[in-house]
Amino acid sequence: MTPTATKTKAAPRKLEPHQTPILARDLLTPEDHRELLNQLYLARYFDVRLIKEKKRGRLRGTLYSSHNQEAVLVGSLYGLEPTDWISPIHRDMPAFFLKDAKNGWRNPERIGMSIEEVCSQVWCKVTSPGRARDNWSHIGSKAKRIIHSTSMLAGTIPVAAGVAYANRLDGGNDVVLTYNGEGSTAQGIFHEAINFAAVHKLPVVTIVENNQWAYGTPLELSSPNKDVADRAKGYSIPGLVADGQDVLDVYDKVMQAVEHARAGNGPSIVECKTFRAYGHGDHDDDRAARYRTKEDVESGRSRDPIAICKIHLVNKGYLTKAEAKKYMAENKHATQTSDEDFPPDVVSYMSKGIEFALASPPPPAEEGAMWVFREEN
Amino acid sequence: MAATLDPVTTKTNYLNALKSAIDEEMGRNPDMICLGEDIGILGGAFGVTEGLQAKYGTHRVMDMPISEAAIVGVSCGAALGGKTVMAEMQFIDFISCGFDQIVNMTATYHYRTAGEVNIPMVIRGPAGGYGGGALYHSQMNEAWFANSPGLKIVCPSTPSDAKGLMISALRDPNPVLFYEIKELYRKREIEEELNAGDDAIVPLGKARIAREGADVTLVTYGQNVWHCLEAADNLAKEGYSAEVIDIRTLVPLDEETIIASLQKTNRLVVVNEAPMTCGFAGEILARMTTKAFRYLDAPPARVTRLDTPVPWVKPLELHVLPSVEKITETALQTIRF
Repeated sequence: MTPTATKTKAAPRKLEPHQTPILARDLLTPEDHRELLNQLYLARYFDVRLIKEKKRGRLRGTLYSSHNQEAVLVGSLYGLEPTDWISPIHRDMPAFFLKDAKNGWRNPERIGMSIEEVCSQVWCKVTSPGRARDNWSHIGSKAKRIIHSTSMLAGTIPVAAGVAYANRLDGGNDVVLTYNGEGSTAQGIFHEAINFAAVHKLPVVTIVENNQWAYGTPLELSSPNKDVADRAKGYSIPGLVADGQDVLDVYDKVMQAVEHARAGNGPSIVECKTFRAYGHGDHDDDRAARYRTKEDVESGRSRDPIAICKIHLVNKGYLTKAEAKKYMAENKHATQTSDEDFPPDVVSYMSKGIEFALASPPPPAEEGAMWVFREEN
Repeated sequence: MAATLDPVTTKTNYLNALKSAIDEEMGRNPDMICLGEDIGILGGAFGVTEGLQAKYGTHRVMDMPISEAAIVGVSCGAALGGKTVMAEMQFIDFISCGFDQIVNMTATYHYRTAGEVNIPMVIRGPAGGYGGGALYHSQMNEAWFANSPGLKIVCPSTPSDAKGLMISALRDPNPVLFYEIKELYRKREIEEELNAGDDAIVPLGKARIAREGADVTLVTYGQNVWHCLEAADNLAKEGYSAEVIDIRTLVPLDEETIIASLQKTNRLVVVNEAPMTCGFAGEILARMTTKAFRYLDAPPARVTRLDTPVPWVKPLELHVLPSVEKITETALQTIRF
């Protein structure tokens, strides 16, 4: 930090034992704050790199970009215990490697996926955790405590409740975080599962990434609630609304729900208000440009989570203005970014994952008929 | 001959056979739990789980909200979390409310994780017609699930098979759909003495020859086994001996036992109370037509429900379901072809 770049800030507030923090972020260190920014860069870089690879025709299937929604993932995952469970869905690919990432991105012991595993999945290689049997985000790992999703939205919430219930029977209090879009809140299983979790006060936190669009359907045609978190009232559980562009606000609200859950008080819904940067999937980019107005898209993307995080860090004195300007990934379309817009460590982490995937073989064809049933106990 | 105990006191009905299997497995496997509507306080709509909550606690025998999809999804999650789960559908008809969680979430879990995860889970419930249950309490909808890879499907017709197959299902590492025939639950005529311990186990995927015969093979399962046995009596009066095969497990299907029978009888009639089109009877016919064609001396036939729902009042219901008369008549046509 260059002393001239910004006025000297006080050291982070240290709470005395008798003091109760007002916000979860108050207990984060400067290193934590900088790590949050780095993870935002990482999530963004993963996405823009894949968008570019996809445009070059190097990837199969549909890419559901998480561009502009990274703060929801980074902010919600950062405060979890390594042994907590998550269930990401299609727009949450970075969650697989961000889980427990604060214990070291490259740490093989951490309870999250390596970038090599995630890239192997994207490139359809046998080294994918699911040996590339189902596409893109439909991976998971019992060992890494990531529930495998299907394409049926909200479908992992009851599974999350079941995992939480089994864990409670075993004497644990692991929290299970499920990811859903605002469109998922209209599913019957959303109701059934949260109702059940609320009856039994299970530690299930339902994140609703409200990006305003369920494929081609706007929020007002999916939900009568302006805040979909209001659905929580029907279950007598907390319904929190977070600014999904602000990683610290997401962190605060999710931690509030997580601590509530871990203390045995039951589930919560945390709505993170955000905006989908592109089409539903990359196949939808052109049409999305027509069914959404240019003004709405510009307005929805005007609050880039990386830029907002930088403002926090500069204001707190954890980053100089000069440092903040060094890597300018924010406020750019994916195709406008270059590797120079990201910290070298972020670029090398992802590049290593891609290299590993490219060097790995595809699964042998005969595996298509395998693992329908488990033969032995 | 020495005096024996009154045999009635040692015989068990189909329902109690199921209960004893679940009870024994709950006792044997501390990681097993039961979920379902009204299974705890009430003991189940039919009483299959009566007494289990008092014995094993509310945390292991749990009353669920009227949420079949959540029952299945939560069971799947609990299995992912290391439990063995018995999930009850109050009527098997209600299973349609949990369809997605069964066929997309649970059935595919092992497949899509390349074997990392397996889901030891039994979804069981009362099934079948002939009882005046009308459209939504009479279904045999097993074909929906036979068409969904990753699910085993079981349907016993006797108390000893009910117990033996339930034990196997609860010890199987895969999701198993268990069709219980509610008309057989308390049927006195079929009560029988049950084996204890491991001798009670009936493996999945093995058919049972319910009656030996030489002139025609009647392949069936569930309640229709008893109809076929009656039809076999009728055929005997006509001078023909029918072999009755109770497949007991639909998935996996014991094809060998059926083929071996056809080598002997050369004639096949499949009987099943589900609707005809894309029903499991059609699957058996298709497989035997391709795999045992050389043994067949007559076109194989099937007796199924008409392609209708199951109506309420008795004359209508019996009109659409397979009857002893229809089975007898079809078998005679096949024999005399």
